[in-house]
Amino acid sequence: MLKIDKWQGYLFIVLFLLGILITVQFRTQQNFLNDLTLQKTEDLVMMLKKLHDKRSGLEKELQELNRQTQIFQKDVSEGAVLAENLRHELKRLEIALGLVPVKGPGITITITTESPLVYLDLVDILNELWASGAEAIAINDQRITSWTKIYWDKNTFSLTINDQELLYPCTIKAIGDPGQLEAGLRLVGGVLDDLAIYKIYPVITREEEIEIPAAAPPVLYYISGST
Amino acid sequence: MWLPLLGMIAGILIGSMLALSIPGAYVKYLSVAVLASLDSVFGGIKALLEEKFDGAILLSGFFTNALLAALLAYLGDRLGVDLYLAAVFAFGVRLFQNLAIIRRKVFEHWIHKKRQHPVGEEKDAENR
Repeated sequence: MLKIDKWQGYLFIVLFLLGILITVQFRTQQNFLNDLTLQKTEDLVMMLKKLHDKRSGLEKELQELNRQTQIFQKDVSEGAVLAENLRHELKRLEIALGLVPVKGPGITITITTESPLVYLDLVDILNELWASGAEAIAINDQRITSWTKIYWDKNTFSLTINDQELLYPCTIKAIGDPGQLEAGLRLVGGVLDDLAIYKIYPVITREEEIEIPAAAPPVLYYISGST
Repeated sequence: MWLPLLGMIAGILIGSMLALSIPGAYVKYLSVAVLASLDSVFGGIKALLEEKFDGAILLSGFFTNALLAALLAYLGDRLGVDLYLAAVFAFGVRLFQNLAIIRRKVFEHWIHKKRQHPVGEEKDAENR
């Protein structure tokens, strides 16, 4: 059974080689036939026409897509401008509300020694500073905002700002035109004159640049929205 | 019987796995070579059926026919004579002749067997 005839061996070799030859030839011929130079003229014309149609269709599509891209780009740029404006506005409002630290030229008012300062004096000073065009004010690094409380705490017997005891030396920082701010305070019959009656002599220095910290954001609980 | 067929299948498989391809300029020569080797193979099968088979002749014929056919085709191209057409003609004609003989032989074998078979049965019957 296992004995192989000689002729089978020969035929095996020959057919094996033939198989390889035929496949190689087949593939080569297939590649050759796909070559454009061997196609019939009519086929080529048809192919050309088809490709032409396809190309014009694709060009139309391209134009349409380009148009859409332009529209989208316009939208995007408008959106970007809008966002930029909003960011600007937000920044301005944050500064105005005192939610971010700010810096700029201004003055510092230092009340060094312990003096018979009452909360009304502080309020007077603040009012005068606001009236003189101050844009941001802090007392001992407590930012003055629309929800700042300044009062005399009867329990601790201390001047209190935002629930924090006022410690001496007390420094009031204000950002604004330094000259105008100082002039406002030194007005004849103004705040400084008033304080002088009680022997309080604040030291006023003009500063090239002062930094004022941010206030804690307000807690809005009952406000549901703007009208 | 099955071994040569297996060889053919193995050859085709390996040939397609090799991914070999011949430059377009030589396609003509390769095709003539393939035709020549095909002719050799059919010649071999014919000889087998006529019981005149010789392995050495088959192998030498296979290689020399293929090489010579390709060489002649190449030479013809160089000389401006379409010698490859002659090769195609010669091998083609022989191929068909061989095929016809093979067909006839196979047919004869088949009919022979069929006729012998009933005879054998009769013998069996007689022996019984």
